[in-house]
Amino acid sequence: MQNTSTSIVLRSLLRADFTTQWRNRRSFILVLIIPVVILLTLKNAVDTGKIPPQVAVATCITIGLMAIGLMGYTNTIARDRDKRIFQRLRVAPLPSWSIMASRLSVQIAMIVVLIVIVCLAGFNMLHFTLPPATYALLFLCAVAGGAVYLGMGQVIVGLIRSPETVNSTTRLVYFVFIMSGMIGQSGLLGDVTQEIVQWSPYGTVERIVASSMNISTWNLDSTYALLLTIGYAGIFFFIGIRKFQWDSGK
Amino acid sequence: MSQLETTSILQVQNLNVFYGSFQAVKDVSFDVRAGEIFGLLGPNGAGKTSTLSAVEGLIKPRSGKITVFGHDLKTNPREAKSNMGVQLQANSFQPELTIAEIIQLFGGIYGVELSKDKIHDILREIKLDDSSSKRFGQLSGGQQQRVSLMIASIHNPQMVLLDEPTTGLDPQSRRQLWERMETIRESGRAVLLTTHSMEEAESVCDRIGIIDHGKIITIDTPESLIEKHRHDPDVIQLSRKGRITLEDVFIALTGKEIRA
Repeated sequence: MQNTSTSIVLRSLLRADFTTQWRNRRSFILVLIIPVVILLTLKNAVDTGKIPPQVAVATCITIGLMAIGLMGYTNTIARDRDKRIFQRLRVAPLPSWSIMASRLSVQIAMIVVLIVIVCLAGFNMLHFTLPPATYALLFLCAVAGGAVYLGMGQVIVGLIRSPETVNSTTRLVYFVFIMSGMIGQSGLLGDVTQEIVQWSPYGTVERIVASSMNISTWNLDSTYALLLTIGYAGIFFFIGIRKFQWDSGK
Repeated sequence: MSQLETTSILQVQNLNVFYGSFQAVKDVSFDVRAGEIFGLLGPNGAGKTSTLSAVEGLIKPRSGKITVFGHDLKTNPREAKSNMGVQLQANSFQPELTIAEIIQLFGGIYGVELSKDKIHDILREIKLDDSSSKRFGQLSGGQQQRVSLMIASIHNPQMVLLDEPTTGLDPQSRRQLWERMETIRESGRAVLLTTHSMEEAESVCDRIGIIDHGKIITIDTPESLIEKHRHDPDVIQLSRKGRITLEDVFIALTGKEIRA
């Protein structure tokens, strides 16, 4: 009998999870298209100076992070749980956390791809560039922001067992967040709504991502937004992990 | 160390499993010995899947002790799980992965070095050498079961757990699977099998445990069970064509009513 080290287990899981993600690349491309299309619609507002380019890019990255966390991660977890893929792995001699660590690593890689695609689109459409060092900060803030939506997805998949209901719930939450976030932040729904949206998971993520691209604009509100982002992620993951069941109970 | 402990691959002692306030498994004890195929039989909802899930480490029992090849599943789960291979009821592999990739994944998880040639050899052994690039869902039921059993025993575990492995298989595939179980037994390892097929239990199991309402009713060899109950009026009444079968004994012990 051979003892398997955790690093070998993780490597095997990562290889399988990245292969799975690669085979599902069409759905990921769709996840990437939405932020790029929104960036295109914001081009005129950026060109006329109504929106700074950092804010437009940050909005698109936030929407992409939402799509990755809510649509991609959550639905994959719900489907694999329903197919008892996790149970098949859990009967093997590996720590349960390694299964989720591998899944989350794939999502972090997807966040990197999202940043690269949106920044490339920003460069092409808005002639938007960043100093190389800023990308590292942008990446860190995007990962913190991504954690909020992955955590939110974890809550959904923790509270709902049926993959079909998870799918419809994530779509609804995604739509509500985009609409209330974009419209609410514009001030069309009044000052109170604007204030609420600014400190919501949508607003805080967008603020830290935008501020990370122009460090001179980082102020006390940005720091509060960062702390709130970390707090949201922590609370969502705490609830999501506590409520999560490995089996869909079929 | 007693004689039993030296020969037992799996020991289940006073196992109790609860779902909320409902007790699914009540003080269950049994052992599976080296070179033995042990069948766990019971009607639907009798507690066999709950017992098996506890042995697999998928659910935490409220009390009791499970030892696999001397390793306590509670205090030393990785060692205990390293000594068993599991085939779940549902064939639960990622649908995007090819057969070769699934083998590579589980080889890695169990610490088995697998080159491309080795994977090819494994697939040839189960007569699937032309299916390495196929997805699991593209295989027939019999082929899927062969892959599942091969993966369950990829690390040569001391014990293989098979949860209703022959459900939905044609007679040829079922016979082939029985032969594979017997090969495991002949190599001195153990098989724990759950099944609804009395024919299967009678044909391949060395001993069987009948579980109902969460309790083990009896543990014995199929032949002894039939012999012991041959003259029970209930069994005689259930028998057909004057021949007493394991199914007659099973129904007499667990009742005729249909379970959910």
